[in-house]
Amino acid sequence: MKTKKHISPEDLALLALGALPEGVSAAVRVHLAQCVECREQLAAFSGDVAMVGLSLPQHPLPTGARQRFLDRVAEDAYSAKPAPAEKPAKVHTFPIWSLVPWAVAAGLAIFAYTLNGKIGALNSQVHDESSKVAALKAETAQAKRVLDVLTSHSAQRVVLTAAKTAPQPAGRVLYMAESGSLLFQANNLKLIAVDKTYELWVIPVSGDPIPAGLFRPDATGSASVLLPVIPSGVEAKAFGVTIEKAAGSATPTAPIVLAGAAAATAGE
Amino acid sequence: MAFERTLHNDHEPSDALLLDRVRQSDRQAMAQIFDRYGGMVYSVALRVLKDSGQAEDVMQEVFFQLWKRPDGFVEGRGSLAGWLLVLARNRAIDQVRRRKPTDSPDDVVLVARSNLASETERNLLMEKVRGVLKNLPLEQQKSLELAYFEGLSHSEIAERTGDALGTVKTRIRLALIGLRKALAA
Repeated sequence: MKTKKHISPEDLALLALGALPEGVSAAVRVHLAQCVECREQLAAFSGDVAMVGLSLPQHPLPTGARQRFLDRVAEDAYSAKPAPAEKPAKVHTFPIWSLVPWAVAAGLAIFAYTLNGKIGALNSQVHDESSKVAALKAETAQAKRVLDVLTSHSAQRVVLTAAKTAPQPAGRVLYMAESGSLLFQANNLKLIAVDKTYELWVIPVSGDPIPAGLFRPDATGSASVLLPVIPSGVEAKAFGVTIEKAAGSATPTAPIVLAGAAAATAGE
Repeated sequence: MAFERTLHNDHEPSDALLLDRVRQSDRQAMAQIFDRYGGMVYSVALRVLKDSGQAEDVMQEVFFQLWKRPDGFVEGRGSLAGWLLVLARNRAIDQVRRRKPTDSPDDVVLVARSNLASETERNLLMEKVRGVLKNLPLEQQKSLELAYFEGLSHSEIAERTGDALGTVKTRIRLALIGLRKALAA
């Protein structure tokens, strides 16, 4: 401390702003690694720098940005890509009940996949064990939720078909209003331009359509949306799919690509 | 900090509480953090990048990073809001300068002076910061803006303004310290 030459406050301020040339920054960081005093000063300047960002007027987020983020988080939470390696072509006209074994297999695949990942992670991060177990529990709960929706007698089952012409694109919705749980799976979708996206809508008995997730088909035209974040307790009269700009939309844009009315609750 | 953990002026859960829930993979908690700070983070990225698409990308990355690694933010190292703002600004500047990320989130350490989890306090503080920056000497404002929003180094600022290197350095330090003192007053 007595003989150590400290970094000047000017340089620390510049470092906090990332405004020091790289060569100088490197030398400063070497000193910082050993000097608590300079580190504290740097933290103080960094706190000041963070405040500068608050001076800006707040801009509204782009349309759909929140939903896109939540979809990404949901997708990550479920790790829900049931390996497309199997046979994505065989999904034309099977009865709804045949989805059950598919769902079981998918659920197990998800579970096995995530479990596998956890095992690998645990080998290298034993100290993270408790958080991994918590994550695994959450994923298992999600897989169970998927199965619940698929096997429930009270779930609404709706087949969405193309509004006209060729019988190619088709979608299926499984929806449980009370828990706001929705599964959607579509096949033979047409590929769309990179600046476009498909958007799924829940059309409630009363009120405006509710966005229920953005998706793009894979090379075979298949796509799915699992458990998008939508409010619970919304009774649906129909479901629809539209093509929107990549950012998504707060309201559906005509034409409706796929649509299906919700029949009375199945199961009787 | 204990202070941040317990103060809820708006009867909203504290950042610390939400982060605990994010660690348990709670998506609702993540959505609440996004709702709380998304606008701030997006606005900083937009000001730097001047492109809504790129700004959204930065915002998404910053929040997704928090979702994937909530422990990247260490309590006691500053406020979550400040941490998110610094990350967003740095990522945006990296993008403008087409360089790889210059720092890891783990390196971001800052002193927190306010509870930004409260919307009321957040709004008050924003007003105050705007007022303080507006009252700084013009040369200090200019130097700080060029460094913060355009990511210029001090030598680039000196070149741009025609001032001596030492003058630029001093102005930036004085601007930051002036802001700190005014906010503490």
